[in-house]
Amino acid sequence: MEFQINDSYFSEKNKALNALYQVLDPELMVNIIDLGLVYGIDFSSDKEITVTMTLTSHGCPLGEAIEQGVKNALSNDFPEFKVIVNVVWEPQWSFEEISPVGREKLGF
Amino acid sequence: MAVLGIGKAPKDSAVLPFYGTGAVFFLILSILMLVASDRFQDHFFQAETLALVHAAALGWGTMIIFGAAYQLIPVIFEKELFSSQLAFISFWFLLFGSVLLICSFWYFQPGILMITGGTFVLIAVVLYNVNVFKTAGLSDLSVQKLFLLSSALWLFITVAVGVLLAINLYRPYISSNHLEILKLHAHLGFIGWFLQLITGVSSKLVPMFLFGKSEKTKLLYSAFILQNIGLIGFVLDHFFFGSSARVFFYFLIISFGIGCWLSYLRDVYKKRIKKRVDIQMRHTLISFISLILALILVPVLVLLSGNQWSILYGVFIFLGWISAIIFGKTFKTLPFIIWNRYYKDVHGKKDIPLPKDLYEERLLVYQFWCFIAAFVFLSFGVLVNQLIVIRIGLLLWVLVALLYVWNVAKVFLHKKII
Repeated sequence: MEFQINDSYFSEKNKALNALYQVLDPELMVNIIDLGLVYGIDFSSDKEITVTMTLTSHGCPLGEAIEQGVKNALSNDFPEFKVIVNVVWEPQWSFEEISPVGREKLGF
Repeated sequence: MAVLGIGKAPKDSAVLPFYGTGAVFFLILSILMLVASDRFQDHFFQAETLALVHAAALGWGTMIIFGAAYQLIPVIFEKELFSSQLAFISFWFLLFGSVLLICSFWYFQPGILMITGGTFVLIAVVLYNVNVFKTAGLSDLSVQKLFLLSSALWLFITVAVGVLLAINLYRPYISSNHLEILKLHAHLGFIGWFLQLITGVSSKLVPMFLFGKSEKTKLLYSAFILQNIGLIGFVLDHFFFGSSARVFFYFLIISFGIGCWLSYLRDVYKKRIKKRVDIQMRHTLISFISLILALILVPVLVLLSGNQWSILYGVFIFLGWISAIIFGKTFKTLPFIIWNRYYKDVHGKKDIPLPKDLYEERLLVYQFWCFIAAFVFLSFGVLVNQLIVIRIGLLLWVLVALLYVWNVAKVFLHKKII
């Protein structure tokens, strides 16, 4: 995931991205960024962070845990912000979304 | 982008009691097998053998599968489970029904207790069916959903026939040979319940676990049609016209159905991205090999006389195919359920254990090799009709059960670290 340097929230987005590297998919034991589950991070002027993300499968029983993980990780670094997680199913996640680091961790 | 809610996991009470009780039943089953080891040389219609088969099919196989199904139905149907409360009630009926049935078979007391036990199991199955059908709805019938729905219906028919047989043992009223109906009852369970459920669930989970994709879903639809046509044909023909050589025709249809399913999984395996096959998936592989061995044995069973063939068939089905898949899937699901319970809310905050830290993988590896040894010794002992070899195999089964129960208990007794 890359952010534009002229984005007014460039540094905050990078900080948020780093925080999300700490959130693991408990099943795959790889963080959600390397898995390619996070589609977007947006900051708004009314102190809201919206993370648009997906899960590896519909109805994933660990989905709530991952959503909570995102909220916890971002609340740590941005205590004054409200964190909103939007789980979306389009575009559909596929194995191709996994980063080279993620692939290595998964033993591909 | 389509925004949807996240499917919530069912309540712990809908899942965990099944896993814990199933593990205890497996230990009891292993001990009972050792106690009744000489029954592995007899005809299958013996009190202790019937008790062992019901302990394996209900207390062990169905108990764990109900728990796993309640956990996985939301994944497969992509919806929340209709009712965790109904699932919990079904647990108590299945538990008491299984205990009553196993005891009344072991001491061979046909009558009220046996019929009550069967009825309790039937109630549990009706509750399971309500949950499955209400969760599924009627839209978006994926092939996996079809398998889960059909297996639930076949389970209902299997148990209903079982209750009728229990009544017949007490007050004979069925004009057909009891043993012939018993064979139907057994195969309704094997092919209708266990095979179709395992086909449906594995065709969803194996690609997820192996990171493999197959476009050949036509194979799964063919499997669904062939397995069901073969079973319906076998049941109707056998019921109305009795035992005949046509059994081979139905056997071939069902075998092709199994072949289609296994071909689909083979395609997934070949196209998998994750090259390393973990110990849980190795259990699954052994499970499929056992199923193939059981299929190879069917013509022998029909054509040759000798008690050992039907006993060996039961060993391949219950202790090989069904048990191996449960061993693997237990540690693909249970640690995650417990982890979710303790760490869901603190995930992302601090360093917390991962689901894999909740059980000992090393023990699972030991269990795997003990299981292979137990399976080989027991099968060989039954084949050559040598009680000492059978007993060595059964002793190893107790060891397998102890290792399994130890690891399951470790997961259950996990203390929250932060």
